[in-house]
Amino acid sequence: MNSLKGIPIIKLDATPVMSHGNALPLLHEIEVLLDQLIATGKSGAIDLRSLPMLADDYEKLKEILGEGEVKATVDAMGPSQVRETAIHGVWWVTHFNSDATVLAEFIEITYIPEILQTHPADARMGLENLRSRLMSTSQVDKGETDV
Amino acid sequence: MNIFDILQWARGTGLQIAVVIFSVGVLIRLLEMWMLNRKPDLAEPRASGTLGGWRTVFTRSAPSMVLMKKAGLLLVSGYIFHLGFFIVLFFFAPHIRLFHNMFGVSWPALPNGIIEIITILSIGALFALLAHRIMNPVQRFLSTFQDYFVWLASLLPLLTGYLLLHTSDFSYSQMLTAHLLSVELLLVIFPFTKLMHAFTTFFSRWYTGAMAARKGVTV
Amino acid sequence: MSDDKTLAETLAQRGISRRSFLKFCASIASLMAMPPAMAVEMAEKLAAARRQSVVYLSFQECTGCLESLTRSHSPKLEDLIFDAISLDYQETLVACAGHFAEHILKEAIEKNDGKFILMVDGSIPLKDGGIYSTIAGRTNLDILEWVAPHAAAVIAVGSCAAFGGIPKANPNPTGAVAVSDIIKDKPIINVPGCPPIPVVITGVIAHYLTMGTIPDLDELGRPKVFFGDSIHDRCYRRPFYDQGKFAKSFDDEGARNGWCLFELGCKGPTTHNACATTKWNGGVSFPIESGHGCLGCSEPDFWDAGSFYTALSAPTKDVANWAAIGVAAGAAIGVAAGIANRSTKTETKRTRKPLTVDDLKGKPKS
Ligand code: SF4
Repeated sequence: MNSLKGIPIIKLDATPVMSHGNALPLLHEIEVLLDQLIATGKSGAIDLRSLPMLADDYEKLKEILGEGEVKATVDAMGPSQVRETAIHGVWWVTHFNSDATVLAEFIEITYIPEILQTHPADARMGLENLRSRLMSTSQVDKGETDV
Repeated sequence: MNIFDILQWARGTGLQIAVVIFSVGVLIRLLEMWMLNRKPDLAEPRASGTLGGWRTVFTRSAPSMVLMKKAGLLLVSGYIFHLGFFIVLFFFAPHIRLFHNMFGVSWPALPNGIIEIITILSIGALFALLAHRIMNPVQRFLSTFQDYFVWLASLLPLLTGYLLLHTSDFSYSQMLTAHLLSVELLLVIFPFTKLMHAFTTFFSRWYTGAMAARKGVTV
Repeated sequence: MSDDKTLAETLAQRGISRRSFLKFCASIASLMAMPPAMAVEMAEKLAAARRQSVVYLSFQECTGCLESLTRSHSPKLEDLIFDAISLDYQETLVACAGHFAEHILKEAIEKNDGKFILMVDGSIPLKDGGIYSTIAGRTNLDILEWVAPHAAAVIAVGSCAAFGGIPKANPNPTGAVAVSDIIKDKPIINVPGCPPIPVVITGVIAHYLTMGTIPDLDELGRPKVFFGDSIHDRCYRRPFYDQGKFAKSFDDEGARNGWCLFELGCKGPTTHNACATTKWNGGVSFPIESGHGCLGCSEPDFWDAGSFYTALSAPTKDVANWAAIGVAAGAAIGVAAGIANRSTKTETKRTRKPLTVDDLKGKPKS
């Protein structure tokens, strides 16, 4: 076998994925966190990438949580997808890099995910921005009436 | 000197030293014993000594019903430990890799799950034997430091080997190092302690059987 | 870009919002196995951080580490960390050459004395006065001993800087040593790997910027968050290891079924790194996922740790021949001892005086 042709090409059936059965315990954890959110208002999050999840677990989780009402895309140095699942208060947040690879993925149990909220510092910037825009517009307006 | 250096030493030089001491020691002791042979027995044998010898090697290796009644726990623990140690040593996949690497021969392995159960049983048996040694007044009286030392040296490879598969408090490297060093300790002390019985048992059984057979007695 | 502005302020001018910080920190937290809630706090701190000066020195190395770092898979988000640092000196990347470059290094050290992070890749040769690697006529040892005392902390990038690496491999012709063999009084963070995972370096810097401290290190000076688990702990083939299902060659049924590569020499069990979780090439795969056992490149002296293709349970040195020598020597000594014993036996027999009645009566022998 000393040439490339010497290496046989063998076709295989797609090997079935083995499930670690991680979906169920995860769902129970979500249940506990949701309960806590209602009782104390404290939000929680589960890092999906910290768990050894296989395709099976993933599909199962998606299937049980379902699709909810909100679908939002945040564009901050690459897209982030924020979707509420059919279980209210349970959000599925996926951060992508600009080359579309997944950077991080969380299940957030909260009334509204942090990333959707505007940071006060950004709001201040927004205000400054608006003011400067207003200023330039009113200057232009003034200029027009003067003529 | 970090754990990695020690591991490398244990996998290389350490193992070489241990294996040399083991093989030199065992051969010296066996040859010495063998060469101190008895005077030829000139009497006409009643039956073949050779055959009788082999028979005894087997009969004495099978559990004795009399002993079973008198000291069942001791007997069962003894069997479990000895068979268990043998199985784990020769039928655990990574061990077979070791033998394959050294001698170029390999054979099928037992699944890890079975090996684990056997390891636990063997460790349990060792503790039962220790308990007996300490609690039985006669045996305690007869026990010397060497008996306890040899007990510990036999326990450590089993224990570290088990932890290698199951520990979360120690890293694999640390446990593998501990395992290798414990095995090397066992190899080094082997020829100079009662551990030699792993070889001599069968010779002495054969000898006892052969002597008796020549006299027409079956043991 | 002015250095007294916070990172958030500088980036805001470029239209980068706090959401990007949050997102960046969420991915770093996920990577560093921190609780997801930490991300918010980290983002706040990172936003308030000032630019961190970094000096990068290259010694006896192959530039693979720098390649790994600058070609990291997530250019856009990682820009954020490159915005957070000011890479004041890096020989390969610096625009100028010769005396100008020398001058920049000097200036960088003076300007941020005691505050900059020193990154080093490559080992330092000590043999023959360190002449085997010099820059502008100065030995690596000389440069390191000059720069390091002015740094706040040192990051040893790659196995060469961290442990000596391939230059130190047997017989170590240049007398190469690691950074930690020379610098004793500065915090040193080892980020080994051949090359190291780029995002680990990013993580360490992000940790320093947000927490103001260096991450927890293991006994080999590596950040525990990335090097705490072994490859084996996190390997997706682990269930096969536990079931005792091993590939016996790279092209057998077992290999095709994705069974464990232990018997083919995988060093995953003794190797601590984050490959199995962070993966390589934009998260595509890591060596074991591509069908090859782990080489153990992030451990000290991995190059001398036996063949890459013999199982971890097999010895790294030739034991069989030593065993054979042992058997031969044992046989020779045994036979010699046996003969000696026999002659003692004959001799004892010959000189043995039988016990007489007189002996028993205690009478002296005549
Ligand atoms: S392939 Fe290597 S790291 Fe993965 S389970 Fe097997 S021995 Fe462990």
